[in-house]
Amino acid sequence: MSRRQLYTGIAALAACGVIFVLPFIFIFITAAKTKQDAATLRFSWPVEWQLWQNFVEVVQTRNYMLLLAYFNSTVITVAAVTLLVLFGAMVGYVLQRRPSRWNTVIYGCVLAGLMIPPAIVPTIWVLQLLGLFKTLSGMVLIQVAYGLGFTVLLFRSFIATIPRDLDEAAIIDGAKPFQIFFRVILPLLKPVTVTVIVVQSIAIFNDFTNPLYYLPGRENVTVQLTLYNFQGQFQTQFNLLFMNILLVTIPPLIVFIFFNRQIVAGMTAGAVKG
Amino acid sequence: MTSVVLESVRKSFGSLEIMKGVDLTVEPGEFCVFVGPSGCGKSTLLRIISGLETTTSGQVFIDGKDVTDAEPSERGIAMVFQSYALYPHLTVAENIGFGLSLAKRPKAEIAERVKQTADVLQLSHLLDRKPKALSGGQRQRVAIGRAIIRNPKVFLFDEPLSNLDASLRSQMRIELTELHAKLGATMIYVTHDQVEAMTMADKIVVLNGGQIEQVGTPMTLYNNPASPFVAGFIGSPKMNLFDGEIAARENCRTYGIRPEHIALSSTEGKWQGKVRHIERLGADTVVYLDVPELQTLVVRTDGDRPVKIGETQFASPLTGKEHRFS
Repeated sequence: MSRRQLYTGIAALAACGVIFVLPFIFIFITAAKTKQDAATLRFSWPVEWQLWQNFVEVVQTRNYMLLLAYFNSTVITVAAVTLLVLFGAMVGYVLQRRPSRWNTVIYGCVLAGLMIPPAIVPTIWVLQLLGLFKTLSGMVLIQVAYGLGFTVLLFRSFIATIPRDLDEAAIIDGAKPFQIFFRVILPLLKPVTVTVIVVQSIAIFNDFTNPLYYLPGRENVTVQLTLYNFQGQFQTQFNLLFMNILLVTIPPLIVFIFFNRQIVAGMTAGAVKG
Repeated sequence: MTSVVLESVRKSFGSLEIMKGVDLTVEPGEFCVFVGPSGCGKSTLLRIISGLETTTSGQVFIDGKDVTDAEPSERGIAMVFQSYALYPHLTVAENIGFGLSLAKRPKAEIAERVKQTADVLQLSHLLDRKPKALSGGQRQRVAIGRAIIRNPKVFLFDEPLSNLDASLRSQMRIELTELHAKLGATMIYVTHDQVEAMTMADKIVVLNGGQIEQVGTPMTLYNNPASPFVAGFIGSPKMNLFDGEIAARENCRTYGIRPEHIALSSTEGKWQGKVRHIERLGADTVVYLDVPELQTLVVRTDGDRPVKIGETQFASPLTGKEHRFS
């Protein structure tokens, strides 16, 4: 490594530290402060460490609302990501493998899903008509609909790299279309599936606006909405707010750390002559 | 023992006609090889027999039964692909037993039959490996194992050896021929390599531009090619073929003589030419002669014949070995 590379490396690390690590430290320190201490919003050492007390208070607020929020968010995230992977892979497979003039239309719809911003009020009308407004299943469907365009795009391009010979070998072996998909294609999609799981679960878990619009009601609270618990018109309890932020940040962080190591490409190595 | 019969099979992709009416009978237990240059439709024909491709018109019979519209799995065939098409996420044992597990056979039966198949192909020590941990030849054997285990009536091979290196290829040629003798099944084999065709086939089908040029045993095709195309395709180095004035003098449209059927002499002969290039192959020497009236004449002669570039040599065709195509 040359001296120049070393310096640019250090500079880049420092910049990343300022952008990513400093805010996190600020959140952590403020979450440990007392109410008065936190209200000054200074980047200073806590006068008195109150990490555990703040934690207990945040969890207990509004009759353990945070726990309910965790439950709701987890249900929505797991259900939506499962459906996204399943449908994304299926649609991507059909779009990539079966030539049909309908595919152009369907692909156009997928791209439109990426480009055209969703209209909130008509969507709510549709949800009300279906009896899904203010329900977790309705929220799951909304998240699936919003994420499907991107997911289909990812799966479709990945499936293009899987040799068609594998499908045909399975057909000769007597596999029905569903068996080809579930026993041959889907296992080979592991790298892109992991990517979809990481990206979508973090996006859905961290989603603030969509639950705010489509999932009103005390029972339906999601983790991001619990942040409102400590913000009022005249007063904000910054120590508790930041403790809440800290707690809400942890699950996506775990998902990212856990799956980041699993993103391994090259599953198809060996399928074709090497 | 199963026969495969094609009756005026045609295949078009849009307005492009790939197969222009093919009639063919593959006898039970025969090793039949389709050869031809790239794009001649040999792979398409194999895929039509397998059912991966439908016919535009015409019929396919396997074992006397019309299977033109049958699913591939209903035809009693097995296919080995050029790319092997092994499932990368499954072990060798799972790859070989995949068809049986799809058919929901009992686990014990699958394990037993996989073991038998692996024994035949000497794969027993590799059963737990994934395809990426295998060499090319081993992958090839797994692909063949996947075909054998289903006890198919007809084996289809789509250029199975083209990804192997030369020495492995000649070894696999022998293994496949032995396998054919052992199983006695009907085999149809696609290749563009005329050496594979000559060495393995009971019957060679030469295809060109979506049509059958000639069907026959390897030696029939070598000794009595029906057209200049077949003559040029079978045999190596390829036959010297001449049109125009030379052919007219011989009372035919195309005149052909194989390099090995020409005698070289330094004193007298039918054609006189200058040696332009020499290829020493050890057992043989291939000499390229510049003959004014013929342009280039390729001659195959003894390995240790003393010829030099730039020398003048005389060449004469052996009597009875000339080919005249009208």
